[in-house]
Amino acid sequence: MLKRMLPLLLVAAMALTPGAYAQEPAQPVSLLFWHSMSDEAGVLVDKFVTQFNATIGKDRQISVEAVFQGQYSDATTKLNSILTAEDYAQLPDVMNLDATGKVAYFNSGRAWTLDDALAADPGYDISQILPITLSNWEFSGVRLGMPFAASTTIMFYNKTMLDEAGAMAPETFQDIISLSEKLPEKSAGGLDVLAYSVVPNTPTLANWLGQLGSYVVNNKNGSEAMATGLECLENGALETFLTEWKAMYDAGALTNAAGTTDQFVAGQLAVLTTSSSNVTSLLEKIGGAFELGAGFYPRVNAQASDGATVSGSCVVMFDKQDEARKAAAWELVKYLASPEVQAEFAAATGYVPVNTAAQEMAEYKALVAGTPQYAVAGEQLAITPADMKSVTVGPAKDFYYAIQDNIAMMLDEGLSVAETVEMMADDLQGLLYQYEQANK
Amino acid sequence: MSGMKRRQLWGGIAVQAAALALGLVIIFPIVYGILGAFKSPAEFSAYPPTFWPESFAYTRNFRDAFARVPFLRFGFNSLVVAFIGTVMRLLFAVLAAFAFAFYDFRCKNALFLAVLATMMLPGDTLLVTNFLTVSRLRLLDSYLGMAITSFVGATQMFMLRQSFLTFPRELKDAGQVDGCGDLRFLATVLLPMSKPVLVTLFVQSFVTLWNAYLWPLLVTNSNHMRTIQVGITMITSFEDTNYHLVLAGVALSLLPSFLLFILLRRNIQRNMTGGALVG
Repeated sequence: MLKRMLPLLLVAAMALTPGAYAQEPAQPVSLLFWHSMSDEAGVLVDKFVTQFNATIGKDRQISVEAVFQGQYSDATTKLNSILTAEDYAQLPDVMNLDATGKVAYFNSGRAWTLDDALAADPGYDISQILPITLSNWEFSGVRLGMPFAASTTIMFYNKTMLDEAGAMAPETFQDIISLSEKLPEKSAGGLDVLAYSVVPNTPTLANWLGQLGSYVVNNKNGSEAMATGLECLENGALETFLTEWKAMYDAGALTNAAGTTDQFVAGQLAVLTTSSSNVTSLLEKIGGAFELGAGFYPRVNAQASDGATVSGSCVVMFDKQDEARKAAAWELVKYLASPEVQAEFAAATGYVPVNTAAQEMAEYKALVAGTPQYAVAGEQLAITPADMKSVTVGPAKDFYYAIQDNIAMMLDEGLSVAETVEMMADDLQGLLYQYEQANK
Repeated sequence: MSGMKRRQLWGGIAVQAAALALGLVIIFPIVYGILGAFKSPAEFSAYPPTFWPESFAYTRNFRDAFARVPFLRFGFNSLVVAFIGTVMRLLFAVLAAFAFAFYDFRCKNALFLAVLATMMLPGDTLLVTNFLTVSRLRLLDSYLGMAITSFVGATQMFMLRQSFLTFPRELKDAGQVDGCGDLRFLATVLLPMSKPVLVTLFVQSFVTLWNAYLWPLLVTNSNHMRTIQVGITMITSFEDTNYHLVLAGVALSLLPSFLLFILLRRNIQRNMTGGALVG
């Protein structure tokens, strides 16, 4: 009988073990920091927090516990559960968020935003933070959090192949056309050589329309409020982009397929646009087979500005209704954005330092001296228009594929630009309208 | 050999061959994943891809995975949660199935339908309400908090009820005349005879709970309470591909499921539609 009772006894014993309801000490502050940094970045975050506890934390009696909360979207699910349950005691003091958690944080009713913290600490020099990364975490005109990990899309090219063909690194779509005319037909391995191979989707369209000074959808690409319509029709930005895109295809410089890293590494693709944080893995995979060039994201035309949208994550603070905790949380956030931390983080992970002063640190200088490709993302972010925003729309997946399908159809079936604009307008506006109606 | 026998023989061979082929298709990703745990990053990005690793002595992935994540502690947590959850789930399922199979009471069918109806609810819709309940019970960050939502499972109740219904009721009635009460009948007759289905449900439920990710993540707040699946997420990388490390973690996490299967496979019911009914 005892054997059968064992599970019950176990359960009873388990119920008696204390949960997470530890009492807060009155004077020394202990903070909870949730993050979604895994792999090497996760190891680094633990190291930063240990360093903080041993230095600033020791002086100010702050001790921080860093807890991994799964991927960003998992952490956002957890945040949403806590907010729906109104179980605010479970909220952390500082949390690492990506775009999926932005709106939840803004509407939480417990947000202690970066703007709030700056008002309480006017001495902090926010101008040291890259403006484009700051504006990435803005919602409804409020700066929600401090940028922590930032990356952007840049262009990589097979420098050896370009040098042999006597071509310069392309800057615009027109340059890619000129490049393709100089490239050999077959690679050394007997594969067909492609100049550039991309099918535009939501983020890439945001980049190229952003270069033309336009948003894809209204409400600043959905960053201020729910997007309800396209904003690239009347200003002609979509038409301009499609015209240049079709010209590239018609000239044989563009392949209507998603060019892969493997194709690039195999010497089959001259130009690859991908996240700036891929420098290390690209170099590893190429393994000296050719020289890796890095440059700014290609521009639609000579009039377009440089740049691409930022991705990555920020750290936000929660109002635990305790001034000492808030002040302590702000100390941690300032530390995470400090030049020292950002330089070390960049050197180990390939993210762009969000603090411009980090570029002066020995660690970052050593990184860039050894691997100059790393410098490109930072330089590009510095000149990217600060109002370039990534797209947030309700029907994200359908929107993404509708863009791809429409543009693929234009190229495959030879539709005119005007026809494509009309078709895309119908499709995309329709998706936004349906979502709006369904979520009233 | 007569023509009919020969046809039977060939038919048997065809069925076996089809089953073998299907089995290979199902097992392939698992085998490929485990082999991948022994590959170096360079082997992983090799084109065309390779099936066999260059050497099984390449254990760096495992060492790196262990260095980054406390797999033993996380594995222990998963073991406790999966074990408690499974045992309790089977206990409740046995009792409920017994009532549904052998008792007559008002609204029996309606109640049984209500149990079945819970199978239609996607788990995600219950996430927030379950979180609220567990949080109010002050069970966050505890083993019980992680396991409690799995204590009652409609699938197990249903399977056991169906199995119990195959027992002749007369057997129970006859026992009752001889003074064998309900509990004694359950413990000494019914359960021993239902061993195959119980073992199958145990393995299936254990593996499901062992593989749980989102719920244990939601209700735990400290690093030392994490489960093994969260550990695997800790070694994935957003910005880069490090499948070699992830597969090392996955290979480690598969061990208990394999062990359980090997130990109990003799008892697993052969004609069970296990694959079609999980949850």
